[in-house]
Amino acid sequence: MALMQVSDLTMTFSGITAIENLTFNIEEGSITSLIGPNGAGKTSVFNCMTGFYKATNGNITFQGESLINLKPYKITQKGIIRTFQNVRLFKNLTVLENVISGTHRVTKQSVLGALLKYPAQRREEKEALKIAETCLETVGLSEKKHQLAKNLSYGDQRRTELARALAAKPKLLLLDEPAAGLNREEKNKLAEHIHFFRDKFGITVFLIEHDMDLVMKVSEKVVVVNFGGKIAEGTPEEIQANRLVIEAYLGTDEDEGGL
Amino acid sequence: MGFENKRTKFAVLAALFVLAAVLPLFLDNYTLNVLWNAMFYMLLALGLNIIVGYTGLCDLGYAAKFAIGAYTTGILIKTFGWNFWLTLPVSALVSALAACVIGAPTLKLRSDYLAIVTLGFAEIVRISARNLDITGSASGINAIERPYFFGIHLTKISHWYYVFFALVIVFIIISKRIRYSRFGRALAFIREDEDAAQAMGVNTTLFKLYAYIAGAVLGGITGSFYAVKMTSISPGSFDFTQSANILLAVILGGMGKIPGVIVGAAFFAIFPELFRDVPFVGNMRMLFFGLLLIVVMINRPQGLWPEKPVKR
Repeated sequence: MALMQVSDLTMTFSGITAIENLTFNIEEGSITSLIGPNGAGKTSVFNCMTGFYKATNGNITFQGESLINLKPYKITQKGIIRTFQNVRLFKNLTVLENVISGTHRVTKQSVLGALLKYPAQRREEKEALKIAETCLETVGLSEKKHQLAKNLSYGDQRRTELARALAAKPKLLLLDEPAAGLNREEKNKLAEHIHFFRDKFGITVFLIEHDMDLVMKVSEKVVVVNFGGKIAEGTPEEIQANRLVIEAYLGTDEDEGGL
Repeated sequence: MGFENKRTKFAVLAALFVLAAVLPLFLDNYTLNVLWNAMFYMLLALGLNIIVGYTGLCDLGYAAKFAIGAYTTGILIKTFGWNFWLTLPVSALVSALAACVIGAPTLKLRSDYLAIVTLGFAEIVRISARNLDITGSASGINAIERPYFFGIHLTKISHWYYVFFALVIVFIIISKRIRYSRFGRALAFIREDEDAAQAMGVNTTLFKLYAYIAGAVLGGITGSFYAVKMTSISPGSFDFTQSANILLAVILGGMGKIPGVIVGAAFFAIFPELFRDVPFVGNMRMLFFGLLLIVVMINRPQGLWPEKPVKR
């Protein structure tokens, strides 16, 4: 059974249909991309999957459980971690604290632990710090860990967000346009990271992306949407050869594939 | 004045501690009372700081939290003859309950609504206190017996100076422990970006409620001590000006920063006193104080306390 199943997903905003009867699966351990022209409804799909929007109709299941009507934090607690299209870091906190936020899901001390600092709490604090430092090392940001997030370059902010998501030990990682605004070198690094996350940690990755180079390089399966509905699904090669896709997307918007 | 290393920081803190501890030997009662008042505001500001500074919620009715503590203790001592120290846990509990009642339905909403609800709640508390028999209506509760501490009857101002000094230290430790814990970090995440905090798995409504309760309990405890120090409490002590003053102390010093909040509260309590005896200015000191606040806020909107230097 697929890790995540989206079936007949429909989302309307006051009469405007953003997503219509969308059905696709995300296989466990795969890297899947969702592509489509601007305004095709990609981010809406993401927001439905993560509980930020309430789907009008249809179902989304994760490991067989429905995610409909769950709050975002509940969905995160199940192991579905997202990043945001326009990087949403905790700007006035350090890089390290940002990444530690990822460990919130996998730790449990609360008010009493904070006040009494008993051994279990101290152990967990150390553990959280260790996870965060490992994740920072993975993305290569260790030497900037004490800087405030707002003082980082854009590329480093993106990497911090990636480390933060990684620290949450995701089962399914949802990346919303992770390559946006990155230069070629940073994009190559990103592709490496995505592969590394999957191969080393077994994380299933689902991404929305405009950058065709990246999509074709990392994905095993590509889902193409236009006007809220699915128009194609297949391997990168199949998608590149699909006439509908070329017409709807690649053909009319060639520049998207470049820088 | 960023501390260069841990040793200088420790030395500065130790010196401050010793200075504060020996001060009562040299100062007259009036000055001690001013300092006591400063520490009283520090306690309130530290409590409110958890709600406003750490979590970024807007609370315009903090006076209600310390009124609840003060009245709980006052009533238990006067009407039921309780020992002061035993009233403390009850005061904390009642404060927590009150925070739940007001927080649970409103903390789901955006912060702006909370501001209005807290403002309204504070008025409800004050007006109830003025009209209920058990709270002594408009004249309040008077002649509350002062407590004993290991055989010492706490009657002198120097006693209260030390009691509040100890409380300030306890509140600082609590604040620090909260800030550097999973709980405190979650509050910071909520303050910085509530959606992103949710996306990292923080149950934002619940954690906001925890913060709100923590702030209310600290306020309630402060109120309890206030009641026995003053020996009388009345609805006038808990009006909106009081709430605004505490909020101002937190914002003035620098929200979320413990030393900043301390300095803000001290500044707030001591500054107007300094000008009390200066001719001409004395009568208009609050006017000058207001002007000064405006100047500070224009030049340092982040508060008086400096940003943390970046560790390298």
